[in-house]
Amino acid sequence: MSVSSEKSWTVALRKRAVAALPPEKLLPDGQPSYVASWIYVFGVLSLSSLVALILTGSILALKGPTWWHTSSVGHFFNSMHLWSVELFFFFMVIHLWGKYWMAAWRGGRYKLWLTGGITFLVAVPCALTGYVSQQNFDAQWISTQAKDAMNSVGVGAFFNLTNFGQMYSYHVLLLPIAVVGLVSAHVLLVRRHGVVPPLELEQRKAVLAATSSPGGDGPSDTPNGGVPS
Amino acid sequence: MAAIFNLNHHAGYLSWHFISLSVPNVIVIILMLVVFAAAILAPFPGTGRKTGGHS
Repeated sequence: MSVSSEKSWTVALRKRAVAALPPEKLLPDGQPSYVASWIYVFGVLSLSSLVALILTGSILALKGPTWWHTSSVGHFFNSMHLWSVELFFFFMVIHLWGKYWMAAWRGGRYKLWLTGGITFLVAVPCALTGYVSQQNFDAQWISTQAKDAMNSVGVGAFFNLTNFGQMYSYHVLLLPIAVVGLVSAHVLLVRRHGVVPPLELEQRKAVLAATSSPGGDGPSDTPNGGVPS
Repeated sequence: MAAIFNLNHHAGYLSWHFISLSVPNVIVIILMLVVFAAAILAPFPGTGRKTGGHS
């Protein structure tokens, strides 16, 4: 490798990326045995709902309001989009409960917790802007009711729920980009730090680590064995 | 085909002091609690079998 290529920002970025997430970590072929529990499936269920949301939303965006309000196929995709968001929040809340009671920020996973929490907060206005972009009486009712809430917290001048163009732009572009970006970071952080182990397992590992020799081969499912660093 | 549930009317509300929740929202919250409890208690298929990697 020449000196000039070593100084290249692409080489530096690649080295950092591979060091942070080597291929076997990015696309693993196995998971720790404790992942064999239903409580661990709600993250991927939320992700699946998000994929369904994006696919059905893309079709709605291509065809437009007249189609989704008047044709039977349009009704079908409109309903699919609605139920995808219902399931997205349903699964995301259970995922949040599960991770909260597992104290999933352990073992240096605080960024995972932060990206998950912020995703939830960003998803709420993403859904709200969708409800006011329906182009029907329901949307008018929601927008005129919710604008009072926006005005009461002082953001009504910047976030006008009765402005369809602004709400639609937020709904189909700005907020989905934020949600997808945050979810991508969240998933990559899961790959980097590993799935959080159950509390009792971590305590056992801490005891094992304390009693084993310094250079010994203790059990490890994460870079630091799941023990807080 | 008739809908299983008739949604063409206002939702009922449950009120307690300042808390006011629509019946559909209460149903969803109860469902989430039930699914959460089931996810913790229900046995996972293949539990006890080695799942590979770092068991």
